[in-house]
Amino acid sequence: MKVKRYLRLLGIQLKASGLLSLQYRADFFTEGLTSLFWTFTALAPLFVVYSERPNLEGWSFGEALLVVGWFTLLQGILEGAINPSLTGVVEHIRKGTLDFVLLKPADAQFLVSTQRFQPWRAFNVLTGVGLFVYAFMHLGRWPSVTGLLASVLLLGTSTLLLYSLWILTVSAAFFVVRVDNLTYLFTSIFDFARWPSSVFQGVGRGVLTLVFTYVIPLALMTTFPAQAMLGRLPPQSLVGAVVGAGLFAWGSRQVWLRSIRRYTSASS
Amino acid sequence: MISVRGLRKHYQVHQRPPGLKAALRSLVHRSYTTVKAVDGISFDIRPGERVGFLGPNGAGKTTTLKVLSGLLHPSDGEVTVDGHVPQKREEAFLKKIMLVMGQKQQLLWDLPPAETFELNRAIYDVPQAQYKKTISDLIELLEIGDLIVKPTRQLSLGERMKCELAAALIHQPRVLFLDEPTIGLDVAMQATMRTFIKEYNEKYGATLILTSHYMDDVAALCPRVIVIDKGLLSYDGGLDALVQRVRPEKRVVLRLSEEVDAARLSSLGRVVTHESGTAVLQVQQEAVNATVTRALSTLPVMDLTVENAPLEEVMSELFAESKARRTAASEPVPA
Repeated sequence: MKVKRYLRLLGIQLKASGLLSLQYRADFFTEGLTSLFWTFTALAPLFVVYSERPNLEGWSFGEALLVVGWFTLLQGILEGAINPSLTGVVEHIRKGTLDFVLLKPADAQFLVSTQRFQPWRAFNVLTGVGLFVYAFMHLGRWPSVTGLLASVLLLGTSTLLLYSLWILTVSAAFFVVRVDNLTYLFTSIFDFARWPSSVFQGVGRGVLTLVFTYVIPLALMTTFPAQAMLGRLPPQSLVGAVVGAGLFAWGSRQVWLRSIRRYTSASS
Repeated sequence: MISVRGLRKHYQVHQRPPGLKAALRSLVHRSYTTVKAVDGISFDIRPGERVGFLGPNGAGKTTTLKVLSGLLHPSDGEVTVDGHVPQKREEAFLKKIMLVMGQKQQLLWDLPPAETFELNRAIYDVPQAQYKKTISDLIELLEIGDLIVKPTRQLSLGERMKCELAAALIHQPRVLFLDEPTIGLDVAMQATMRTFIKEYNEKYGATLILTSHYMDDVAALCPRVIVIDKGLLSYDGGLDALVQRVRPEKRVVLRLSEEVDAARLSSLGRVVTHESGTAVLQVQQEAVNATVTRALSTLPVMDLTVENAPLEEVMSELFAESKARRTAASEPVPA
């Protein structure tokens, strides 16, 4: 009953976002072009690195391309479904209109997380899928069914992780009001996810790899699903990713609830 | 319906003097002061009552409304609204109330108000049939039929406020908190809003608390007023009784057919204003009859009315009084 109600709410919010983006049709073309442009700039360093050597920390060019594919796809999800809503929260907090969200008899986290979508960002998702196809053509083989299924499961956990990280960032807005810098920081850190996580092994005796696996789980987001597609992901890593993402989501939920309790709204 | 006992809301506010040096120092050592937004107030409100909250800026009116609607946790005291503790923000409670803020809006900016209505219908689980009925009533009463399909950003302030009110009433709240709902509106629009709010209260028996800087709003809507000043309750009762207490004097307004000497007027009572054939005298209540009789017999009076002092004046006098009391209380006793 409750799930049905929230699904209906999601439908209505999606409809409103759809209506809004239809008002700005030109966006579709600009989004498409910028997305293509960024994909190619993202690929440029890859070409530079692999022109010198055939292999980087155990990743061939085609395999590393898969990681970039996942990065592009997740960027699409981040900027299309997560970022717009949660940036809206920061605006709500600054203007004091979060009051209206908190007055509604529905979960506040759900309401703020679904308030805005940018459907045109689906272009990035398509580009990501295109990169997968190209990468496998380059590798001269296709992924196994189990590998594909595992990567679909990891798509879920990656999205959940990204979303939870954003919730944590946004929760900071309750304490510092201006989180623009934090969101920039987040975007620049996310940029590391375009490389296979083992690339960073040489830096600080692997400290960076540890950080990107356990602290800011970038490795889980892009490297794991790429490994799953290649059939190289150990089952325990898959289980770890699912459990880890669940725990991370739970933790961020707790932080959000605590922040709401602290919220005292901008003075009238 | 609403019960408030010893409500307190204190904030910790970071303070620093102006200047670069002070700014640098405050990075390391921060000094905080406690702001007592609400400092121990108690009152009860019966179902269906219309109550006005009055007080100068920063008196604690909005803070009280936010505590009542569950947006702020009280620092101390007990608050219940229709049997619910607001700060728990239970769904059953949130479905019964609504807070309308004249300075903030919930309408989706780039979309027509109808989209916000639809969203609220889903959030509040309003059955389709009831929604249709309510919305057509609201459209008719507020005359917003052709507005709700235009994008919100294209509406004027007054039009937007009417749609705000409609969006807030889709779930037919039993308790309505209105925080300066008429701010920035022109006189005609203020009157429309007042009539509508009163009709809503009478039709649905909703309890209503209103804050406003426009005394006309309060005079037209609220038989009972609660005056809050510096977080303390300084009056709770009928509006008429408040006027009686603060300004027992009446005003006699005379329209004169020819100019009259100022001395002749001041022999009747204190002259408040005297210009271009109209004079306003302030007289003690028990002297009103005698003054009117004398004025009619000695002056060239065309028209005469007896009025209360304007509410604005009554209020500023009330606030000045309590301020003077506070200053007197805080002054050191000479040794």
